[in-house]
Amino acid sequence: MKIIVNGETHDVAVAPDMPLLWVLRDELKLTGTKYGCGIAQCGACTVHIDGVAVRSCQMPIGDLEGEVTTIEGLGQPETLHAVQEAWIKHQVAQCGYCQSGQIMAAASFLDTNPDPNDEDIDRAMSANLCRCGTYPRIREAVKTAASSLRGA
Amino acid sequence: MGALKTIARRTFLIGSAAIAGGVAFGIYKVKQDPANPLLETAKSGEAVFNPWVMIDGERITLITPHTDLGQGAESMQAALIAEELDLDFGQFETSVGVPAAAYWNTAMAGDAAPFKSTDDSFTAETTRSVMGGVFKLIGMQGTGGSSSVPDSFDKLRMAGAVARETLKAAVAKNWDVPVGELKTAEGTVILPDGTALKYTEVAALAAEIEPVEDVALRDPSEWRLIGSQMRRLDIVGKSTGALKYGIDLDIEGMVHATVKVNPRQGGVMNAYDASDAEKMFGVIKVLPVTNGVAVVAENTWYAFQAVDAISFDWGAAPYPAEQADHWLAVADSFTGERLDKVWREDGDPDAALSGDVVEAEYRAPYLAHAPLEPLNAVVKVTEEGVDIWVSHQIPRIAQQQVAAITGHETEQVKLHGQYAGGSFGHRLEFDNVRLAAEIANQMRGTPVKLTYSREEDFAHDYPRQISMARGRGAVKDGKVEAYDLSIASVSSSASQIGRIGMSMPGPDAQIPAGAWNLPYAVPNFRVSAYRVPELAPTSSWRSVGASSAGFFADCLLDELIHVAGADPLEERLRLCTHDLARKALEAVGEMSVWGGDLGPDRGRGVAFVNSFGVPCAEVVEVTNTPDGIKIDKVFVAAEVGTVVDPIAFDNQVKGGVVWALGHAMNCELTYADGIAEQSNYHAFEAMRMYQCPQIEVRGLENGDSVRGVGEPPVPPAAAALANAIFAATGKRLREMPFNKHIDFV
Amino acid sequence: MRKSIILAMALLSGVALASEQHGLVVNTPPEGSVTREAGLQAWERIHAVVSHPRCANCHTDERNLPMWSGSEYADAQPHGMNVHAGESRIGSETLACQACHVTSKRPNTVPHAAPHAGMDWRLAPVEFVWFGVDGPAICAQIRDPERNGGRDGAGLVEHITHDAEEKGFITWGFNPGAGREPAPGGMQAHLEDMIRWVAADMPCPED
Repeated sequence: MKIIVNGETHDVAVAPDMPLLWVLRDELKLTGTKYGCGIAQCGACTVHIDGVAVRSCQMPIGDLEGEVTTIEGLGQPETLHAVQEAWIKHQVAQCGYCQSGQIMAAASFLDTNPDPNDEDIDRAMSANLCRCGTYPRIREAVKTAASSLRGA
Repeated sequence: MGALKTIARRTFLIGSAAIAGGVAFGIYKVKQDPANPLLETAKSGEAVFNPWVMIDGERITLITPHTDLGQGAESMQAALIAEELDLDFGQFETSVGVPAAAYWNTAMAGDAAPFKSTDDSFTAETTRSVMGGVFKLIGMQGTGGSSSVPDSFDKLRMAGAVARETLKAAVAKNWDVPVGELKTAEGTVILPDGTALKYTEVAALAAEIEPVEDVALRDPSEWRLIGSQMRRLDIVGKSTGALKYGIDLDIEGMVHATVKVNPRQGGVMNAYDASDAEKMFGVIKVLPVTNGVAVVAENTWYAFQAVDAISFDWGAAPYPAEQADHWLAVADSFTGERLDKVWREDGDPDAALSGDVVEAEYRAPYLAHAPLEPLNAVVKVTEEGVDIWVSHQIPRIAQQQVAAITGHETEQVKLHGQYAGGSFGHRLEFDNVRLAAEIANQMRGTPVKLTYSREEDFAHDYPRQISMARGRGAVKDGKVEAYDLSIASVSSSASQIGRIGMSMPGPDAQIPAGAWNLPYAVPNFRVSAYRVPELAPTSSWRSVGASSAGFFADCLLDELIHVAGADPLEERLRLCTHDLARKALEAVGEMSVWGGDLGPDRGRGVAFVNSFGVPCAEVVEVTNTPDGIKIDKVFVAAEVGTVVDPIAFDNQVKGGVVWALGHAMNCELTYADGIAEQSNYHAFEAMRMYQCPQIEVRGLENGDSVRGVGEPPVPPAAAALANAIFAATGKRLREMPFNKHIDFV
Repeated sequence: MRKSIILAMALLSGVALASEQHGLVVNTPPEGSVTREAGLQAWERIHAVVSHPRCANCHTDERNLPMWSGSEYADAQPHGMNVHAGESRIGSETLACQACHVTSKRPNTVPHAAPHAGMDWRLAPVEFVWFGVDGPAICAQIRDPERNGGRDGAGLVEHITHDAEEKGFITWGFNPGAGREPAPGGMQAHLEDMIRWVAADMPCPED
């Protein structure tokens, strides 16, 4: 199977029902995408498929259509995405394990809703679990990122 | 290594040693006659050097042995060294170092620090309340009990100061200038003429002289880093997916494994049939492990799939199979025979409770830790030794546990500490390390990464203690006159250290933690603890005993204050005998504008608990909406002596509040047929963002002792929430999780 | 095997149309051969299906909240995680349903995972509200082309066979997998009931 991840084409020889999550982590060694629950409860595995947030633990590799972007593809330390910049500015992360998924969810959300209100943010981000309790900082970082993306 | 100084009476001695192209500053430990053969393996009289600061011609490395579980321990430790060493963030690297006795936890061991400047501010009261059980183990080199800051605060600043003064002395000698005319800044020693010599340039010279031990710590007015907002070292890595956690490691030649162990914790495996699993795609082999089976495969998912295809015949649980029987065992433990200790008795409670008595019974369930990174470990076993890559809160015991499995000497077991995706007490346990070692020992030469499925992680999450409390009290003339709280709990401390073959003599101070030390002068006051025989095995859960006992203790007081007809905050302040506690209560009163009008259908509650030496007061505000309770705002004031990093402090306090409220709202771990019924986050959700209140935090610096704040904000939160819900609805919630009795929106 | 059974059934009935694509047998009865009573009985069975949580949970009103109800839940409650499908009914305003409910024709095998189907997960259009609505009202809605997506009787039948081809939501409702309680009956029975109800001129209980 050929898949496109972060702009690169990969040929992967795995079972077609293997979730994208494990292809990314164990086959392509892109470990920024995290395993937390395997049942779409935590959101730690969130990636973009054609720019839209998807839980990669739920996506059988054999059913994948579209280009995948992972946290590594969103932005590197030298080429940060506005959402990553905001996450760094607000020092959101504690353990940080959920934050790849939070950032990917926020980036996709802000792409379709560039000027969200508090209620929108709570709707978009409540399917991503954070056990450390960074929610107050996530809220602030999403607002900062939105403002930055709007060029304000 | 540099010349060893004569080591006399002291076990530890600060010193320096030459390293390739440079110098290391640190401490020596002389192995004494082993007090416990399980814990000490080096030969008596042998001196071992362990560094805090290493400087060679290329780089400066600061050793940060407290495990970073997400609380920011790495940055905090580095900042304390850098403060005195005049380094800026960006000028050094960090390493967790090699687990060693020298990195003992002075705060938890309750002994003097290895430096001349000892921390004598750690009060006897708190030392007594935390000593024993698992905290004794953390004293070896451990992370837990909110002790990383108190352990490090003097010790690491001193390490930085010794390094600085020694570098200056070396420069003074070599350039023949008085040391008093030298300055240090930004990683350089500055000569009187303004020439800046990089530490890396003069490191080798420093190795040739005796380290300067007689140094004084800087006055707080000179602090550059402490108290200022620092950008934690891991923040970019954690915002870009670049930072590797234990679960992310990829060691050359590694295979992937998972396990399924009898979900009835401690039960045996009678039989299993892996004939289907062995044939599955990607499976390398199926191996027996203690009470279960491991599947080794080409990737994690193949291993997960295959282990689900194995059929098992599990033995019974060594505890009651059904949850109702656990509660019965707790309820049956309020007896003289089960009395662990009467922790405090003021006045004459029995006489004061002979008339009209207010009574209430409270419950706190088992709770999973469930950090988001499932348990994992990479282990490679060869004839020569063992390598373990794992995040662990007590790494030295992990090494010993593995050595016992593989038959190596503990010195042959190397543990490479990793970043953790949360812990909350979960990584105090050894199952994952032991199981990974069992698998790798059957595949010597091949590195094995063991990854738990989330379901396996829940099934083997040694939960928070289950406990109940019975409270009685009396009021007189609008005041609380008598308070009598009896707490019955299993001992998570005894359970935990029992799993490594040790016992805990004496009463368990965690059962009444946060209750017996209430700072109130109720004329007749008693707190008693009853030890419930072990049921399901339990463990330390963020804030440990105080997470339940603090809830019981404050809620009972709130009920009595209500019956007395007094104001919840004013009566607490009237009763308060402890200055730091009073200031915390006054602070949340001011922050929340206590007494101000909240509007219709709203309520506020206050609570106070002192745990881990931190007086912490909280006010919660709620709205009683038609669909349920909405938690609007939380105000927290916590007394920590010195706030080392305001951002890390704010993050820890808010996180503690979210942790406490989320679990109090909707989480419990229950057993059916001996198996935890909650297998994943769908049944153990805690707080999500839409439920997260606004949280306002104030760090108080009135006291002398410097404290950690990972745990102390947890115990008051559930109590303040219950008290607020009562204020808004008239309904007392005495059992967690509260959603058994009221809805939340 | 299955193909030969379908063929045999088609030969016996003489009027059956079997499709390999959807795997269902479409056996259209002669006009006027289904009584109103038989049609109402068919409706009752259809109602048992459409009011079942597997179906009704995603046929909700203008608040655009998917529901969690049924034997798996103690009380009916809105979908957790503060999920709002929005006016788009696909969640595109905040979080797309497809973020978790991916589009896949594979069986649902993982307990407690987000269920998936061969169609893009979404709430039914708001005029198709079934959750919390009584039987006669649902009946009136389903037969009203103004409120059923412009479908006549044949269109309603075709809706089911098309779903089977796509392994869509109706197919999923009868075979949700992973321990979820299925809607009563089965795809073939539901199709036959729909055909019967349509043949009886779509009677509703309160006509």
